[in-house]
Amino acid sequence: MPETIDVKQRILAANEAAAKLLRGRAEANGTLVTNLISSPGSGKTTLLEATVRTLASRLRVAVIEGDIATERDAERLRALGVPAHQILTGGACHLDARQVDAALQLAAFPLVDLLFIENVGNLICPTSYDLGEDFKVVLLSVTEGEDKPFKYPAIFAKAAVTVITKSDLLPHVTFDLDAVRRQVASLNPDGRLLVTSARSGDGIGDWCGLLEERLAAKRSART
Amino acid sequence: MHELSIAHEILRTCRQAVAGHGPGRLETVRVAVGELSAVEPDLLCFAWEALTAEGPDAGSRLDVEWRPARQHCPACDADKPRSAGSWLRVCPDCGAVLEVDGGDELDVLQLTFVPDEKDEATHA
Repeated sequence: MPETIDVKQRILAANEAAAKLLRGRAEANGTLVTNLISSPGSGKTTLLEATVRTLASRLRVAVIEGDIATERDAERLRALGVPAHQILTGGACHLDARQVDAALQLAAFPLVDLLFIENVGNLICPTSYDLGEDFKVVLLSVTEGEDKPFKYPAIFAKAAVTVITKSDLLPHVTFDLDAVRRQVASLNPDGRLLVTSARSGDGIGDWCGLLEERLAAKRSART
Repeated sequence: MHELSIAHEILRTCRQAVAGHGPGRLETVRVAVGELSAVEPDLLCFAWEALTAEGPDAGSRLDVEWRPARQHCPACDADKPRSAGSWLRVCPDCGAVLEVDGGDELDVLQLTFVPDEKDEATHA
């Protein structure tokens, strides 16, 4: 005879437990953790390079990189003197909190102010996984087209910050910035949207300012 | 295609739940998937089939309960039905920010488990 068993458990309970542990540790260390999500080629690593160049003199930074293959992204950050650890997912389309936990143990980073987790390039799968971050950041480059927020609504609804990248290319492409602002505002009325170009430096100050503000807020909220 | 990872977690959770019940096979597994969870039910079922095909739980069935999000407009003081695939968080009638309740479910609810037939003689 079949037995019926009530389970009533979150499917991602193991990930959520790992994320809670990570969040607790970051809280104790006073580290601001951001989870960067975008399609491949939107400029996550390039934004991080610009961020490090701007903030490294005042803040301690470390980076976890998620990719299917190659150490390239971690090497780019290490070249700037930032401790960086590469997670190779093999084929998996997202990072899991347990992978981040294992990577942090392997990497043994010094105490940092900002920890960036650069997720695998993908606008869908990373959306479901809490990595213990303070907030998710979604990047959208102006060459990707202005309909992205409505086509991939989950991540634009969940990310506290939307960063438009490659704004120096705006004169050369069809990209209605106001339309994107309206889309993001209707999906995520409480979210922030920043327009940046790592190449020209436009908006990088605003982005770094936002990180510093959130870091200060996190630390002042600690008891 | 993270549905395979999700299916893995479901199987792991179910196998943990039946760990004390001796050898046997899963027959049905009922899960709740919210419309805001970014998980696609059909793909999840395909992933489940592929994942269990070779093991003791081959032929088991994954039943997905779809859980819509409930939206309420505080300005109109009315529930606002959600059109399929729409993630807009502003009221279509007045533009106020909607309150959203539920829709992020991703739970294993219940399973049925068929224990292996015991040869009573050997346990006598």
